[in-house]
Amino acid sequence: MNILVCFKAVPDLDKLIDEDWVIDEELQIDTGFLKPILNSYDEGALEIALALSDASESVGVSVELGALTIAGTRATPILKTLNALRFKRVVRIHSHDDFRFRPMAIASILTQYVLRHAPQEVLLLGRQTSIGENERTHLLLAEMLGWPCITQVTGIEPVDMNHLMVTSQADDGQLQQRIQTPCVLSIGDAPNTYLRVPTLIDRMRYGKRPIEILSSMDFHLADETEALMDLEVLIHERPGILIEGQTPEQKARELYEVHLKERLEKR
Amino acid sequence: MIYKAILNGCSTNIVAQAEELNGFIGEHLCSEETTGSTILFYSEKEKKDALLRLVPTESVVLVRITRHQSEIILEALKAVEQREMTHLYLFPSGFTGSEMAVRLAFRMNGSSLVQVKQIECSDQHLLAKKTVYANHVLGTFKLMKKPYCISLAKGSAVSQPIAKPDKLIVTEVDMTHLPEDPFIKESTSIPRKPATDLAKAKFLLIGGNGMKNKANTYRLKQIAETIGADFGVSRPVAMSAWAPMHRLIGISGAMARADVCIVAGVSGAAAFYAGIEKSKFIVAINTDAQAPIIKTADIAIIDDYQAVMDELIKIMTI
Repeated sequence: MNILVCFKAVPDLDKLIDEDWVIDEELQIDTGFLKPILNSYDEGALEIALALSDASESVGVSVELGALTIAGTRATPILKTLNALRFKRVVRIHSHDDFRFRPMAIASILTQYVLRHAPQEVLLLGRQTSIGENERTHLLLAEMLGWPCITQVTGIEPVDMNHLMVTSQADDGQLQQRIQTPCVLSIGDAPNTYLRVPTLIDRMRYGKRPIEILSSMDFHLADETEALMDLEVLIHERPGILIEGQTPEQKARELYEVHLKERLEKR
Repeated sequence: MIYKAILNGCSTNIVAQAEELNGFIGEHLCSEETTGSTILFYSEKEKKDALLRLVPTESVVLVRITRHQSEIILEALKAVEQREMTHLYLFPSGFTGSEMAVRLAFRMNGSSLVQVKQIECSDQHLLAKKTVYANHVLGTFKLMKKPYCISLAKGSAVSQPIAKPDKLIVTEVDMTHLPEDPFIKESTSIPRKPATDLAKAKFLLIGGNGMKNKANTYRLKQIAETIGADFGVSRPVAMSAWAPMHRLIGISGAMARADVCIVAGVSGAAAFYAGIEKSKFIVAINTDAQAPIIKTADIAIIDDYQAVMDELIKIMTI
């Protein structure tokens, strides 16, 4: 079973201070000085794929894992880590284009990759990136391929070469479904899916394997049906009045007597 | 502008869906230039009358299906809407609404946007606003192709109970002949535990990554119970499985509107803050005076949350 995880490296937005949130005339925010990290939902997708591969051995299902990103060279350290984690195929589609709000373009590249370059049975994607918050790429990809899609996936177990057991969150509970491949699976809030760390030996042995590099110029990019018109920084501020005091007891007493007691009695 | 509100009457959260869409319609789609109706999917005949009391418009197409599956809904919408000139399809917030908005737009050659907070309609396009950059920035997008298919962001509208209409025009359509999705071979639904609805909590105690482990998380939950607060957690806590996902506060979880909200050991990332920003009074307890939560709280204590909470519980239980 060929499983491809499509992921993105993103700037760690928690590292930005208030003064960094400046929008320029091109509707860009400078985050170039931040070290790229794995998008959190994509990190979950990568770890779930590795766990699925581990579990597949015991049920006699052969799994070949691939990982793909559309990015510039800044994603290379993450790709090397994925090599060390023994992803069989690690691919970077080279591009410096602004894909923040272009889910149609991303989905069209991925569709062509699957149809032309490397057939897959399962595509795993995080539900959205922290920057674009588009939450549409996986669905558009499924539509373009004519494949079914399950969203908000939190766990995947192998059944046989053509079937998976997929757990996902729904609006009113949880769903557990035995499904037939091919399919697109979008990873939601999946607990305990921080990406494992490769051993030093695996890093040395596999980390330097070549990364497959393609160019986005070789793909047709579908047009978006929506356009970004404006960005406005949201300012969240409250008084933030500090309760002074020498001890936790003094602070807790002032908090209760001055600020909480009356409010809680009114409820 | 002709709009359709789409409701999933097969879900147990149908009342919340209806009241949310009713609130949004009241805020954005009540001008003389707009006309709207509802398409309501359901499967259990005996619930029909109750569902009809949840329609936020003056007319409704009641579509009976075998079960709520993506392909069934999309096929049914295609059939019901084939001769209609709908400009805007409005889906409630949540996973299903977002999925349907994107897929319907693709199949109808329209445009989509999910987690929308506000809209402005014109003859030529739809302007829609939603948060981006992990809730730090508000983006304005122009949807260029009709039909526009959008799902709402949680908390984008103040939910409004459905008033009893003077008249309700009901059209019934039977789509029970549509086949179930063949790629699903077996399906089990596990309903959410009837846990407290954190979105409706009046007094909330929320623990963050500063709790450091599952034992401390459990301890803070017990403190919450003792002082009569509901207990919520930030995303890193839920992702580390120190607490179940239904306790999550923030964009991915509940959007609280508490009277009093105590936030302990939470740094206060913007995506978390979105889940408490509509609370009336926010208290932050954190060892880091530079944590973003300090500037976004009404009152702050710079100290170890555990020491402060231990004292607070003594004072409150005397």
